[in-house]
Amino acid sequence: MIEELIPKVKQMIIDSLRIDGMSPDEIETDAPLFGEGLGLDSIDALQLVVAMEKEFGVVVPDAATGSTVFASVRSMAGYIAEHRK
Amino acid sequence: MICWMFPGQPVAFADTPVNDPEFQKIALLCQETTGFNPLESCTSASDLSQSVRLQLFGVCVSLYRAKVLARQGSVPDVIAEHSMGIYASLAASGATDDVTAIELAWRIGVCMARMGMQREYALGCIIGLTRVPLEAIVANNGIYIANYNTSRHFLLAGERENVAAALAEATASGAFSASVFPCDAPLHTPRIEEIAGELRRIVADYRFYEPRIPLVEHITQTTLTAAAIPRFMVEELSRPVYWETTYRALRSRKVTHFQEVGIGSALSKFNRWIDSES
Repeated sequence: MIEELIPKVKQMIIDSLRIDGMSPDEIETDAPLFGEGLGLDSIDALQLVVAMEKEFGVVVPDAATGSTVFASVRSMAGYIAEHRK
Repeated sequence: MICWMFPGQPVAFADTPVNDPEFQKIALLCQETTGFNPLESCTSASDLSQSVRLQLFGVCVSLYRAKVLARQGSVPDVIAEHSMGIYASLAASGATDDVTAIELAWRIGVCMARMGMQREYALGCIIGLTRVPLEAIVANNGIYIANYNTSRHFLLAGERENVAAALAEATASGAFSASVFPCDAPLHTPRIEEIAGELRRIVADYRFYEPRIPLVEHITQTTLTAAAIPRFMVEELSRPVYWETTYRALRSRKVTHFQEVGIGSALSKFNRWIDSES
């Protein structure tokens, strides 16, 4: 389930954050998304929260949860798999 | 149609283009004008507050990035500014020169820093709450919304302990994130009117020219004229930044490309959020 979600999560990141010129394969599954890695910040986090809710019906209620969920693409996929309705 | 957007004060000394001779030239200009050298941001001009040094750093990086863009052939049809982005935007529009932009940022920054000697102020960044509940929270705590960046991104300003209380209340009300930053003065709030006379005297020392490139301001989204600049420079410090309204106004002027001219990409991300709601 998680492995199936990973390419979809990568595409969602690219689309919602409008990362031009990047393909899903270029995003490392286990690399940190914030700070290093893609270098995302709290503005990006809210954009991802909205995208996750819209695309997968999954709610990230606060930044504390978000810091765990958005640790990597794999953790995002894991959270979606666990909370998807 | 291209718009250059000048962001406000950065939160940290980051992305310094240390090896570029163009930046070194601007850094030297800043040192000669203010005593602060952005190439030695952590140690230089320790008599200036951290906020003033960050403001000067932001101005210098924006001036540098504008020159790099111009060198690359980018020509803006319109210029927009957010908060402290006004200084570099004035230079980019032709309303003033680089030295004046740096000197104004320095003198106004030092003037505001004196407010911080009387009381402790802070800025609070709130992400996720909407305007109505946030307006109730700031009213409860005697502080203000300083930046209306998008429907869910706001900056608060006021006395530090009140900002901290408001952030706690915002978090309890469902804000996705809430963070606090120290600052010298309650920026973009009516409290700045306490020093308005001094600010007016500073601005009156300078002559401004008609902008060669239209410069759209962030309060009423009008195009600044040379005559309107001095008043705006004082007024903008005591009134909020309305970025979402500014961005939408630029869009309605048929701007198609936005180029952020400074540190980071906060304005581009706000624009992305606004577009996603359109």
